[in-house]
Amino acid sequence: MSNLLSFFSSIRWQDVVDIIINSYILFRIYAIFRRTNVFRVLFGVAFLWFFQRIAVSMGLIVSSWVLQGITAVAAFIIIVVFRNEIRAFLQAKSVRTLLWGVPRKAVGTPIEVIADSAFDLAESHVGGLMVIPGTDDLEDATQRGISWGGLFSIEMIKSIFWHDNPVHDGAAIIEGDRVVEVGVILPLSHRTDLPSDYGTRHRAAAGLAEKTDALVIVASEEKGAVIVAKGTHLSIMNGKEELVQILREHLGIPARDGDFPRRELEFGIAALVSILIIGAVWFSFTRGLDTLITLEVPVEYINRDSGKEIVDTPVNAVRLYLSGTSLLLKSIRPEQVAVRIDLENAVIGRNSFTITNENVSLPPRIFLKNVKPPVVEVAIDSSTTRDLNVQVDWVGKLSEDIFFTSVQLNPEKIQVMGGSRILENISTIYTEKVYVDTIKETGKITVKPELNPPSLLIAPGSKDRITIEYVVEKRTR
Amino acid sequence: MSFKISGKFLFVCLLILFFLSSPAYPEGKRDYFSKGDSKRLTLLQASMCEGIENLLPRNRAIVFSIINGKVFCYMSFDPVPEKVSIYHNWFYRDKLSTSIKLSLKPPRWATYSSIKLRESDKGPWRVEITDKKGIILHILRFSITD
Repeated sequence: MSNLLSFFSSIRWQDVVDIIINSYILFRIYAIFRRTNVFRVLFGVAFLWFFQRIAVSMGLIVSSWVLQGITAVAAFIIIVVFRNEIRAFLQAKSVRTLLWGVPRKAVGTPIEVIADSAFDLAESHVGGLMVIPGTDDLEDATQRGISWGGLFSIEMIKSIFWHDNPVHDGAAIIEGDRVVEVGVILPLSHRTDLPSDYGTRHRAAAGLAEKTDALVIVASEEKGAVIVAKGTHLSIMNGKEELVQILREHLGIPARDGDFPRRELEFGIAALVSILIIGAVWFSFTRGLDTLITLEVPVEYINRDSGKEIVDTPVNAVRLYLSGTSLLLKSIRPEQVAVRIDLENAVIGRNSFTITNENVSLPPRIFLKNVKPPVVEVAIDSSTTRDLNVQVDWVGKLSEDIFFTSVQLNPEKIQVMGGSRILENISTIYTEKVYVDTIKETGKITVKPELNPPSLLIAPGSKDRITIEYVVEKRTR
Repeated sequence: MSFKISGKFLFVCLLILFFLSSPAYPEGKRDYFSKGDSKRLTLLQASMCEGIENLLPRNRAIVFSIINGKVFCYMSFDPVPEKVSIYHNWFYRDKLSTSIKLSLKPPRWATYSSIKLRESDKGPWRVEITDKKGIILHILRFSITD
């Protein structure tokens, strides 16, 4: 019980927001792509990823490598396969549609009339093929017929499929409330499991349904039955109501008042499942098996008084022992981890700081287990300025023919800022190395001072360049 | 460990040099500096040089090759009112390497100290000439190079 309480108390508001956002995204994906091929592709990709993880955990090197490669190109596959859905989604006219709308294709399609027409044709033993497209483009799957563009009506359908009509053998494509094309040739299915009494019309319906997400209604001339082809299924309609229901589902038209609870229930379950899935993912990310890693992190000193200098820090970096799930630990970026010591209350002399959780900044759900060394000592000194003599640091191979008789520096002294304890022991600032190898005669050069230790700074207003005028004489033997 | 051995070696060398350091002007010539006994001790000349010849600095310079093996700090005082001790404090960078005590005698006196050079002595040096109270009379700066 106490474990459960501590678990709930450790949940941050950011975690709740995180779960809600991602659950909603998952729910929207379901709402937008339900009953489409896209949903099946998404499932396929999810399974691919799942098996890749299993292959990795089982140590199947080649399998995991191949699956990883396929998953990597899945992004491109998804874009190609989902092109119509993505386009439809991005063309949403309002934010409400984007965030809450359910795709409604062919709004205004007279489904009751379509159903009446189909059964009317069948009862009259007139064969007919009606195609209600989904989101897939039919251009690649069919041979285009004749443009029509007439408003849909039972009479028009009857006349299109009348025996003496030249286009009666092809299919009629219905978009919205219009018959947009007639005499369209559909691809034939090569399935061998179709009933033997199914003719060319049935095979054409099955062929298009297999290749696209369109719904095809067949009015059977011989049997006087209405058959619907969708995906790989061919279903005989037992009545007009059944056909109307299937058309509603296919077109995404809201069900009649009596069907609302069913749809609400479906979305409710989908929302709940989305929350459960994302909650499980969140839990596995943040509460999985603990893993321990060590990180070497540099120590940052903050809030240092401008009148104080850090003169000695034996510890420049500390080793942090961090725990969390392996996934979160692997995703840690160096800039997310910092060890900061506040020098606001530091005093002149040696200061000891014990590194605690307050000094360590970590990404969410990463925990500090240990620090080595746990204590950092910092020597602080007051800052002061001092005039120091400048001396040239001559180096190199001195020519045997000459000798340097005198040197004049400008300036002879420079003002340096630094810790008072450091400056106490320094009386001279040396220039950068000046090579004597190439010097053969009297001359002048300008060099920079070399500040050592590097914590020293040239005081504002003091020269940071030194002019050296040297006199060279020939050696007399 | 090698540094400690080198330090001891240098110390012994410098100790020997201290005892060997001799006045450039022998006591026998004291009458030559007879005038000005009542004046204050005054440093007349100070310089770094490659050697001492005829009681005078040879090849005064500010850069010395380590090949020379030795470097000298020469100084002369005029007048020297009374017998007094002067120190040559040799610093390698800002670290005191050795301090050599030299005696001055009236009426005027010239003397020098020197150090033997080793490979590790390359770099900037300075010699602070001080009295027994540590008051700096003069600073000489020079470098040892290849």
